[in-house]
Amino acid sequence: MTDATSPAAAAAAAVAAGADDGGRPVTAGAAVTAPATTGASPAPPGLEVRGLHAGYPGRAVVKDVRLTVPAGQVAAIVGPNGCGKSTLLRAVARLHRPDAGTVHAVGADVWGLGRREAAHRIALLPQSPRAPEAVTVAGLVRYGRHPHQGLLRQWSREDERAVREALEATGTAELAGERLDRLSGGQRQRCWLAMVLAQQTPVVLLDEPTSALDLGHAVDVLELVRVVAASGRTVVMVQHDLAAAARYADLVIAMKDGRVVASGTPRDTIDEALVKKLYDVDADILSAPGDASPVVVPRVRRGGGDDEPGAGR
Amino acid sequence: MKDAGGRTTQDTGPLQGPPRRQGRPHAVDVTPPDVTLPDVAPPDVTPPDSTVLRTGTLSWLAPRRGVLAAALLVPLLVVLVALAVLASSTGMSLSRTFSGLLGTADPGTVMIVRDFRLPRIFAGLMVGAALGISGCLTQTLAGNRLATPDLVGVNDGATLAVVASAAGSATGMVGHWWLGPLGAVAAAMLVVLCAGGAGAAGYRVLVVGIGVSTFVGAVSDLVMSRQNDSTAGGVFLWAVGSLNGRDWSVGTPLLIALLFLVPLSLAVGHRLQLLRFDDDVASSLGVDLRVVRAAALALAVALAGIAVGVGGPIAFVALAAPVVAQRLAGPTRVPVIGSALTGAALIAAADALARVVAPVELPVGVVTSVLGGPFLLWVLFRSERTTGKA
Repeated sequence: MTDATSPAAAAAAAVAAGADDGGRPVTAGAAVTAPATTGASPAPPGLEVRGLHAGYPGRAVVKDVRLTVPAGQVAAIVGPNGCGKSTLLRAVARLHRPDAGTVHAVGADVWGLGRREAAHRIALLPQSPRAPEAVTVAGLVRYGRHPHQGLLRQWSREDERAVREALEATGTAELAGERLDRLSGGQRQRCWLAMVLAQQTPVVLLDEPTSALDLGHAVDVLELVRVVAASGRTVVMVQHDLAAAARYADLVIAMKDGRVVASGTPRDTIDEALVKKLYDVDADILSAPGDASPVVVPRVRRGGGDDEPGAGR
Repeated sequence: MKDAGGRTTQDTGPLQGPPRRQGRPHAVDVTPPDVTLPDVAPPDVTPPDSTVLRTGTLSWLAPRRGVLAAALLVPLLVVLVALAVLASSTGMSLSRTFSGLLGTADPGTVMIVRDFRLPRIFAGLMVGAALGISGCLTQTLAGNRLATPDLVGVNDGATLAVVASAAGSATGMVGHWWLGPLGAVAAAMLVVLCAGGAGAAGYRVLVVGIGVSTFVGAVSDLVMSRQNDSTAGGVFLWAVGSLNGRDWSVGTPLLIALLFLVPLSLAVGHRLQLLRFDDDVASSLGVDLRVVRAAALALAVALAGIAVGVGGPIAFVALAAPVVAQRLAGPTRVPVIGSALTGAALIAAADALARVVAPVELPVGVVTSVLGGPFLLWVLFRSERTTGKA
């Protein structure tokens, strides 16, 4: 669908004609191997969170969150700043100990596992990760194998294969020898994704993976997210952009003040009332040509002056 | 430019195999000119600076530069040990030294060579190795090549313990060797306590360490100033760092300690690689950096403390050995073994020099200090140059 000759045209094409069948964007990338979690009906869901409370001393940030994401699906957590999205993601990723509740990744209790074992099941890409100085792309992606390595198992054939597949799946194979800090933001983000993929976890968490990217590179990353999910992995991402969430996620989870206020498929979930509730913004919900996925267009506030349309997000 | 680059790699990707791109036939047409074969093997993702060794399920990466450096350092160490055995402040001849080593000379010579020089040299090697590893861990922990274990109070703590023991004893002699490590560990614990935990931030521990060291050093000076000249002289000799008179009674416990601490340091060094990321990424990769930092600091203090207990606070080795080892091994690793070898070589060389260079035998710490000044300047100027380039 995308046109390689012109970035702008490519981005526009991807957005306008992203979905042909079943409401899912077309993904024409390489296959990603993931731990086998597809198929078999009694398989546990990719991610299951029950009664999760988390916060900081004297301040509850995440309150009684319950959510289930089936394996092979993409869930987008949306909500205003400070609603607890990132804390929820950190609690799920075993970075922030919850006060109550459980997190199960493909059936295993994440907080009951050791940190290393948990890193075999859940990988997190933080919002703006810091890379080692002067690291190459391949070097960065190799770090994704760290949870599988040790003093006596420093570089197995499996490590080699996983790194290679991650590079190829993210289209960063020909950048392998380049230095990460000399790449553009979009390329860098794909390299980070490659690192997370090389970890070969059934659950992948992404904290605002596209927030720093222009439209074209954001679409690249989101397309990649679909490829990852198509391989059977479960992807949960925090996403500020409602349009992207609607277009690329199977499941939208809307949070406000630490609670899940709505969840479901984008078409059922995103409506005027929800946008008003989350962001206190009056908006028109249009239906995208092609897949009828909801498009949020904020209304100009009365007396709001000249630069309003973009302000509401 | 930036966008074009990103898009080209996304869409052409000849290495991803054109057959999978059936839905987008145009993608095959835009193969970058630099790739001639569409069916090139997938990229070699093995670290380019290493050789893989595999047997069964075990696998190792042998960093070629590091191995080469070790292959050069080991013979150098052997030569240095040989020179150190021969180095003499009394003018003993080569042939007499050899026959002393082999036990065929007169009992006095045999005793000098076997009971005085050899144990002292081996104690020196181990002290150097311990200081090297300790410095390597500290520098990695702090992310700063000027960080050394004495910044967390190791040297001043050990000195205070030794000074106090000398002042407290009737003879004014320096007490048992283990007083040094004890004082070092106590001072380091005080530092960590003041800094609010070792795991939080390596940098804060170092800053607090400077303050605590100064204070502890002042207490040592105060105690020293109350002593008579002979006690002060004995303590002073210890406090500049000397291997004079070290024998197997200190060498054996040192060896046993190293047998435990070196493998632990290797394991921690492996995990310390992730220190180059932020805490969240490292944690997501299965490593709790707080634990790793605390473990690395504890190991660094233990190693430096033992070294200081045996050899006194020998300056500059903990600073220089890791820097040299890093230069030899390349920038992406935590050079634990290299630092150990370099540290051992530095001490062996300095101690040999100390015994021949002046009419009277110098404490090894004086030699290392004299070498350390220019070296420090070199490090500073080098880092300026490299940051200027990058």
